Amino acid sequence: MQPLQSTQDSIKKINQNPLIFFLMLIAIIAAFAVFFNFVTGGDFLERTNVTVIISHIVWPTFVAWGICFLFACGYTDLSIGAIIVLGSFATCIFGNWYGYPGVILGGLIVGTLLTFLNFNVFAFTEIPSWIAGISLAMIYEAVAVFLKVGKSTADLIYAEIDKSLRILGRLPWSIILLAAGFVAAYIIYNRTTVGLNIRAIGGNKEVAKALGINIVKTLLWVGLISGIFIGIASIVQESVAGRTTVRTGLTSIYVVFQPLAIVLLAQILQKRINIIIAVPICAVLIYAVFNLLTILGVPSGTLQEAFLGAFLILFGIIGQRGYKGVVK
Amino acid sequence: MSENILEIKGLNKYFGTTHANKNIDFSVKKGEIKGLIGENGSGKSTLLSQIAGLYPRDSGRMLLNGREYDPQSPIDANNCGISMVMQELGVVGTLPAGVNIFLGRTGQFTRNGIVNLKALNKAAAEQFAKWDLPKVPLNELTDGMMIETRKIIELARALSVDPQLLLLDEITQSLSMNNRNRLYDLLKRLKAMGRSVIVITHDVEELIQITDSITVLRDGAVVGEVLSAKTSPDEIKRMMVGREISGEYYRADMKPDYRDKVVLSVKNLLVENEIEDVSFDVHEGEILGLCGLSDSGIHAVGKAIYGLTRRSGGTVHLVAKGLDIKNSTMALKNNMAYVPKDRDNEALMINASILDNLSLPSLSELQGKFGYIAPRKTKRLASDMTKKLSIKCTDINQTVNTLSGGNKQKVNLGRWLAKDLKLLILDCPTRGVDVGVKAYIYSLMKELKKEGIAIILISDELPEVLGMADRLIVMKGGRVAGIIRRDEDFTEHSVIGVMI
Repeated sequence: MQPLQSTQDSIKKINQNPLIFFLMLIAIIAAFAVFFNFVTGGDFLERTNVTVIISHIVWPTFVAWGICFLFACGYTDLSIGAIIVLGSFATCIFGNWYGYPGVILGGLIVGTLLTFLNFNVFAFTEIPSWIAGISLAMIYEAVAVFLKVGKSTADLIYAEIDKSLRILGRLPWSIILLAAGFVAAYIIYNRTTVGLNIRAIGGNKEVAKALGINIVKTLLWVGLISGIFIGIASIVQESVAGRTTVRTGLTSIYVVFQPLAIVLLAQILQKRINIIIAVPICAVLIYAVFNLLTILGVPSGTLQEAFLGAFLILFGIIGQRGYKGVVK
Repeated sequence: MSENILEIKGLNKYFGTTHANKNIDFSVKKGEIKGLIGENGSGKSTLLSQIAGLYPRDSGRMLLNGREYDPQSPIDANNCGISMVMQELGVVGTLPAGVNIFLGRTGQFTRNGIVNLKALNKAAAEQFAKWDLPKVPLNELTDGMMIETRKIIELARALSVDPQLLLLDEITQSLSMNNRNRLYDLLKRLKAMGRSVIVITHDVEELIQITDSITVLRDGAVVGEVLSAKTSPDEIKRMMVGREISGEYYRADMKPDYRDKVVLSVKNLLVENEIEDVSFDVHEGEILGLCGLSDSGIHAVGKAIYGLTRRSGGTVHLVAKGLDIKNSTMALKNNMAYVPKDRDNEALMINASILDNLSLPSLSELQGKFGYIAPRKTKRLASDMTKKLSIKCTDINQTVNTLSGGNKQKVNLGRWLAKDLKLLILDCPTRGVDVGVKAYIYSLMKELKKEGIAIILISDELPEVLGMADRLIVMKGGRVAGIIRRDEDFTEHSVIGVMI
């Protein structure tokens, strides 16, 4: 029996072996870490700094996993930042009222419900998701402001959580949460019918429909799954930072910048390794770059992000090297 | 072979004001291989889609094994033992091949909410082994796979239902000769098992060869039914178009006829994992054919010459201009054109209008001062080309995805004919088009040849390259295995000898 695609080229196989690529990636990250450590005179790999990096990648990683499910089904939602802000406000307010049950349920319920609500809007109104997302973001920002100050205002509003309620932002709890999130995201994305159906819709909606996949039901599942990840991200974000700020006028979109950069980088790598695995790796990389720049005294904001953009392009080029799909 | 598995009585289907299927009476016997043929837009795919549960019928009855049959979805049809390989549908590129086989039915491998991918892939591999299909890497995403591989995956998916009635909508034209032969064997095997198959193909000779009986559709209605053993290609063609079609649309002459001047010279072309050391010249007025089995690399040659894939070595020299072609922009600017095999995904802007599709490659010629493109110029170009190629459409603003396969291909070709071409690369130009359009494309090629345009004709259909080419390059394993001239041993037998 003659195979349809040549399997003779062993070099090609080794090049595309996900495990080998994964190990190469870890080696590259280790090399970067050593280099960063050298540049910063030993500050980068200092224990406290490593702890800071690990603590700070947890919430963007959860958001990035949530976005992976969104992107997998072909949708874009620009209200995620507003959901995180509102979720963090809920974590803060309900946490301060009811302690840890309030912290967990506040963020989780708000994150899940709102993302689920978004997907109801996308599925039933068929308004392009990026347009609907912007409208919903404006509503959620206004609700967050109103929830905190009880009136509409253009001022910068913030919510602070009690110091005693921030355990999920600290090691080892944050890393335990990250590990649990990884297992859940990996299994749902790769090993469940709903995960495969979500990817089928994003890959070819017509085929998915023709094969009997219920599009609306699957989209609602996306809302639910992404919502849980975004809800958890809200809790961790509030626990790490201790304070969340918001101002109406779509300022919340900025919140998803880092998670979005993580997903975009992971998408480049997904040709070689599973995107769910790629996400935390990319989160470490991106946060490490930010951390390095901070240690080196590069002002946060514009200049740091310019460096990050350049780093993304550089990494994208490295990620694409040597990869060649079969000619269709 | 007397009992019907499927009976259709007075079936009607409308799309808006278009009466796509008119009072169709149609039946398939158990163990019968039934052919369905008709011009592009005659309603064949619509009929199969209703049988497969993709579209609901507007009126009429369907009986499966003597019982009322009214599928609400393809899954419903699958549960009744009917599955289909569709003409254009394809696979989900973001999922591995194995998952694609059981997509929508992964529940059978799910335990406690987790899909057992190992068991799924094992079951998929069993389907390939059971039906003697060529092996496919089941863990790989289908995104980068060749069109032929993707079609095989779709076939495996349809067969995994263990169908009593299998519907094949123009599958053979996506397959190379070796896998086409494997499909013919599969049909014989299904017939021996008492299973039935409905086959749509535009290749009349092939249809007669592989089926027991043939139903002919014209303008949405059944115009005749014949036994394959007692009919001829000419009779089928006459029934299809309602007039006499001359039997021979290929070239009648049997010697190469082209000028001495070399248009393009390809030397030691190398594309990693695809082709190696491919060299040839193409002359003015020459039709140079390229053929080979599925992994021969013929399709990669077209892309590499036009600069669509990265070459690892070798040169593509456009002699007239004294240029080495490095990429597709350079190729386009220097009077080269490429018509890919995968029309919908690689050639046409499927959701744009006929106007946009026809005018796009000629925009640089149409632009005036300061880059301004006058709408009247693009409209004139599109209208002239639509008229010249007899594209059946409401007007030039109609979107391409609403056209039939043959008319899409006319748009695909027509966009290049508006340009002053030196070289035209055609990859399977008659894939999915009916005899009328096929005849038209061949006459067009003859005309271009007369004008001195060099044509590289890449094809999975041996009769096509044998019928049209001056010289034929036979490829094997990514290399040139032989070059045969039209006045040498230019027969299927000798070409297959080189291929294998």
